[in-house]
Amino acid sequence: MKLWAYILRRILILIPTLIGLTLMVFVIIHLQGNNLLLAQYLNPRLTGPAKQQQLEALTERFHLNDPVYIQYFYWLQQIITGDWGYTNTPIYSGSVTTAISLFLPNTIIIAVFASIIIWLLSIPLGVSSAVNRDSIRDHLIRVSSFTLYAMPIYLIAIALIILLGVYFHVLPFSGPVNPLLVSNLDWYKNGISYPTHILLIDALIHGNLTVAWDAFLHVIMPSVTLALGIMAGIIRILRASMLEVLEQDYIRLARAKGVPEKIVINLHARRNALLPVATSFGYTVAGLLGGAVVIETVFNYPGIGYWTTQALLVNDVGGIMSSTLLFGLILVFTTLILDILYALIDPRIRY
Amino acid sequence: MSEGPVIKIDDLHVYFFTRRGIYQALRGVNLTLNKGEVLGLAGESGSGKSTLGLAIMGLLPRNAIIPKGSIILGNGTDLVEKIRGKAPFKKDKLNLRKNELLIRNLNKHLQKIRGKRISMVFQEPMTALNPVLQIGYQIAETVLYHDAERLIRRALAREKVTREDLRNMIKILKNEGERGIYEYALKAGLNGIEEQIFAIWNREDIHEAKKEKMIIDLAKDKLGLFERIGLKLARKGMLKIPLISRLARRALIKEGYRVAKELLSSLGIPQVDSVVKMYPHELSGGMRQRVVIAIALANNPDVVILDEPTSALDVTIQAQILELIRNLRKKTNAAFLFISHDLSVLAEVSDRIAIMYAGKVMEVGRVEQIFEEPLHPYTKMLLDVIPTMEKDTLKPAKGTIPDARYPPPGCPFAPRCPFAKEDCLKFDREIAVTKDHIVSCILYENKK
Amino acid sequence: MEKRMEAKEIEGLRLSLVIFFSNKTAVVGLMIFMAYVIDALLMQFAPSMLGVNNPNALAFDYSNTIPQPPSPEHILGTTYFGVDLLQAIMQAIRIDLGYSGLIVISGALIGALFGIISAYAGGWFDEILMRITDIFFGIPYLVLALGVGFALGRTIESMIIALIIVWWPLYERYTRSLTLSIKEQTFIEAAKASGVSDLKIMIKHIFPNTLPPVLVQISLDLGVVMAIFATLTFIGFLPTGNLPELGYLTSLGLNYIQIAPWATIFPGLAITIFALAVNLMGDGLRDVIDPRRRSS
Repeated sequence: MKLWAYILRRILILIPTLIGLTLMVFVIIHLQGNNLLLAQYLNPRLTGPAKQQQLEALTERFHLNDPVYIQYFYWLQQIITGDWGYTNTPIYSGSVTTAISLFLPNTIIIAVFASIIIWLLSIPLGVSSAVNRDSIRDHLIRVSSFTLYAMPIYLIAIALIILLGVYFHVLPFSGPVNPLLVSNLDWYKNGISYPTHILLIDALIHGNLTVAWDAFLHVIMPSVTLALGIMAGIIRILRASMLEVLEQDYIRLARAKGVPEKIVINLHARRNALLPVATSFGYTVAGLLGGAVVIETVFNYPGIGYWTTQALLVNDVGGIMSSTLLFGLILVFTTLILDILYALIDPRIRY
Repeated sequence: MSEGPVIKIDDLHVYFFTRRGIYQALRGVNLTLNKGEVLGLAGESGSGKSTLGLAIMGLLPRNAIIPKGSIILGNGTDLVEKIRGKAPFKKDKLNLRKNELLIRNLNKHLQKIRGKRISMVFQEPMTALNPVLQIGYQIAETVLYHDAERLIRRALAREKVTREDLRNMIKILKNEGERGIYEYALKAGLNGIEEQIFAIWNREDIHEAKKEKMIIDLAKDKLGLFERIGLKLARKGMLKIPLISRLARRALIKEGYRVAKELLSSLGIPQVDSVVKMYPHELSGGMRQRVVIAIALANNPDVVILDEPTSALDVTIQAQILELIRNLRKKTNAAFLFISHDLSVLAEVSDRIAIMYAGKVMEVGRVEQIFEEPLHPYTKMLLDVIPTMEKDTLKPAKGTIPDARYPPPGCPFAPRCPFAKEDCLKFDREIAVTKDHIVSCILYENKK
Repeated sequence: MEKRMEAKEIEGLRLSLVIFFSNKTAVVGLMIFMAYVIDALLMQFAPSMLGVNNPNALAFDYSNTIPQPPSPEHILGTTYFGVDLLQAIMQAIRIDLGYSGLIVISGALIGALFGIISAYAGGWFDEILMRITDIFFGIPYLVLALGVGFALGRTIESMIIALIIVWWPLYERYTRSLTLSIKEQTFIEAAKASGVSDLKIMIKHIFPNTLPPVLVQISLDLGVVMAIFATLTFIGFLPTGNLPELGYLTSLGLNYIQIAPWATIFPGLAITIFALAVNLMGDGLRDVIDPRRRSS
């Protein structure tokens, strides 16, 4: 099969998945009748007759008097046109789409930093652990990845806070920036920076290096925590698959034809050992997103996850339901991209 | 033919340490491989014949040790010097980790020899090729890591050659044969073009006019800009510098793909232009085994070890590969060590045959000696179990090979031997019955 | 004949025990696991033996609510509201272990039921179940649990239901793949040929054969589910403030992390050690059912 045919097929599979995903969120919203749906779309600031009027308008708009399966399509139409209702939390109150545009960039920056750390560290660590089997380095890598794998991610965060923040005082561990530094800036208001909403980038745009550096320091702990939690699993898979690959005939042949050992490890063995890691990328992304919820909460970092838990604490329907849907959409689309990339690495997958 | 040894194995011992005990896979093997010959190595599974092949290559697992013995190449290099008798022990227990480092060191030491002077073809073609690398690449890198000079030479010669030169060379080829080409190439400073011409000239699948056209077309095949830069870098020895070396390496690999095509078409693979860009899973088992053989031959080695190269293939493909190996003998001047459990296969390709049993060589002789006047009772037993037209019943081999952890003293075959006597338990010598027929059996002690 | 079968089974059991007990780290894991189980059982049936009056509520001490460091009186110190940490952790283990066990086992039962039927029946039923589980895998499980739990109301019961809903698809996939390989074996063919009904084959032949690997998976998942359970309460899923639960205990200490790190370290250690222990134990059990290990 040609590559483009594979990609086309992969995109077609996306359609039922997307329908299923939205259906699932719709079912969750309807677990208790229409209350949650109304709560999500009712402007929280309205009272009295105005509220009553909007309730009627909503009943009309979502066809709440029609059977449930018809309601789904009206709800879906609403979602597709970009009206995701309202959210009302201590950190932001207003339309869900605006909230997402404010918080998602922060989650992305943490996820990107974490991915870079994972990419830079887990492959060399996993490979060298397998290549130097039973050495002291291997034992160290194994024990630490095993422990990190077993720990819930918020405990990794707490361990890092106690170690680096409380004991050594080397890194800040709360919020996106030191509030004193940004109190008088005209491009930073109510904890929101402009224009990209990513403090680090905005500070660079405005040429404020002090703030940029401080923002960078604040990103380190959350992203390192996230990276550690996910790396542990990747290192374990990679070590095991590397050990298996090193026993293969084609590695023996590569040695028999006099390929230098460095090339045998880094090209012949590693490329094959990475395949099982690449197939588990979907789980990695899921871990990254789920982990972000917890980590942003622990570090008070204003991303989608922090917004979600804030919404949880004040029973804000818009925040919870939209983030469930949003996380699902992100996961589905990143797995799609990763699958296509995977087909590019491994020629066998297309057939 | 025999012009002196290319490999001389002396009293080689190889042991494997496992949780269940020490397996003595080789217990004093003496064997000589002469230039240009095919030596068949026969034996039941567990006789140590594959271990011998791997030991020559230095491809030992981390629980292997070589307590004594030597493997000496034609130029005097001892292949096992780095690990002989050096195994790290801690109270009778092998320190696996340290032994692994020792073997890794041996690997580093042998890297320049493997694939260049000795190469190996493995039994299982389905798993011997790397699934994520192109066929062409897997052949090209074999040349790259041993003889980058050759790739540079080839590319530059093609860059320089004119149609006039090539027409002249075809004329010489027709009149004087191959030798004249070398002289012409040397004189015109076209070193490296000759092997490209021969590769076309010696093809059997196309007629002469087509060959001539292809040879003349070599002059049209000029390098691209990046390859020219890459080659310049490679010539200046920049292969070690990161990033820059990439460009150089890419140019060399591209030339290596040409070598791959020439090799593959000489091994009878059709449509090489597309085959080199394929991945292993797109090829059949027989094709893959040809690719592995191409890899083994890429650097014109002195010795090729073939470890059961046909056992995993269908019978028809098996015959093709055997035919191929017979042809290769004529074309190359390499010596082949052909390992097989199947004496009838060995009979077809070998000049001499060595019979192994329980980690020792029992008998060595020319093919006709082994088949027509076998001396060792074990050899006779092996010949008895080969199915032939005349026999209407098959005699199964009686008894089993002894446990390699507790080999019997003296002649290991004694427990199964119908002529065994008490002295066999003490007998451990090789007797040259004639100059080239050696047997290790007490029955021939006095017949010298 | 009967006797010989019995002897063979005893021999198999002996071999399993030998393999398991030759793995020292797995034995350590088992011992820690047993300690947790014993603590949970005592807390359930005889809380007074451990000096606890009500195992379902934390004993607040309003006279000194600031966390105190470990001392002879409070071996692990106290946390916010003057709660003795050792006692609180021992109470919490019962809740965490009990609920994680409930979640994993119910998830495994539901998953195994659907997994076996879907693999055995195949066809459209299988296809639909595959698509359904795909959707469950399409949302990060923590987020899904949050969403479902929230929609059901923020109580401990809805949290448990939400986690079961998140967890069963994993077991559906796992038993499905197990069943597919068992289905190919000859004894199933033989049973079919001799006219045994499909239902009976599933119950008598397939289910017992999927059991050992599923049990190993359950032991491994206990740690994961306890971690998620604790994570949910840690981020404040439950509005009530008096549940002896490890994640909640950690969050109590979090505000005092600068002056009283032990208040977060000890509850955290309680989870980590348990998760490590079940992982080690699970690895040991995996060796026991691995035919390659058995034969060597």
